[in-house]
Amino acid sequence: MMTCKEVSTLMSKGGLVDAPLRVRLAVRLHLSMCRHCRAFKRQLEALANTARTLSASLEAEPPKDFEATLSESLHRKRSS
Amino acid sequence: MVRRERDLLEGLRGRDPAAIREVVDQHARRIYRAARGLGFPPSDAEDLAQEVFLTFLETLDRFEGRSSVGTWLFGILHHKAQERRRSHAREDSTSAVEEAFEKRFDVEGAWLQPPVEADRLVESRETGEVLRDCLEGLPAQQREVFQLRQVDELSAADVARIVGCTTSHVGVLLHRARLRLRACLDGKGIGRSR
Repeated sequence: MMTCKEVSTLMSKGGLVDAPLRVRLAVRLHLSMCRHCRAFKRQLEALANTARTLSASLEAEPPKDFEATLSESLHRKRSS
Repeated sequence: MVRRERDLLEGLRGRDPAAIREVVDQHARRIYRAARGLGFPPSDAEDLAQEVFLTFLETLDRFEGRSSVGTWLFGILHHKAQERRRSHAREDSTSAVEEAFEKRFDVEGAWLQPPVEADRLVESRETGEVLRDCLEGLPAQQREVFQLRQVDELSAADVARIVGCTTSHVGVLLHRARLRLRACLDGKGIGRSR
């Protein structure tokens, strides 16, 4: 049986995807029984969602003609 | 390498404007966003994106197709961002937040200070602005790994290739980044139950 510390650390390191099947099953079993680790998992997901929302916000977007300007600039520099 | 990508690379090597436009359309916005996510202001992020694509085009002969074009571009961005920063003084090998995390468990690994059940981040403009401040406080490598893993959603193996470390160290850096961000948000009163 995995401990809360082992489960939460593994989730926080993002290591679940690459973990062996027996570990993934042990984590799933643990989460089904432990509301604290479920809360910790939700915190991790919320943090990632907020960071993605922040990144996709308007201020993180380049100007509308960004791709066209960049392509032209690259083509000019490659041709010169 | 899939045929589509092979054809694209042939076009790029032949300086075909349509091929350049295609690779820019596919990847430039992600590279720009990643640069912004790494803390560069808009004008620097535009410059960086241009440098990334110029270097990509100049080093095409070295691209063997063992990773995707996207991963290769992120690798170039990593090096360009490092060149601009020239400072890793704030990288820490041991972290106070990790120690604080350890103290939340007893000797048998059970929670002593469990997460608050009602604790959640509300996706609001205010939360985003606070998170941006907290991201500014991360050491550069932790910030980069957090950006690549959590925002750009690259695999640990791809991130390891990009930043030049092992996949397990990517996990350690991600863990530290998350703990620091969590502590920062808590310190600013975001995500706590009221």
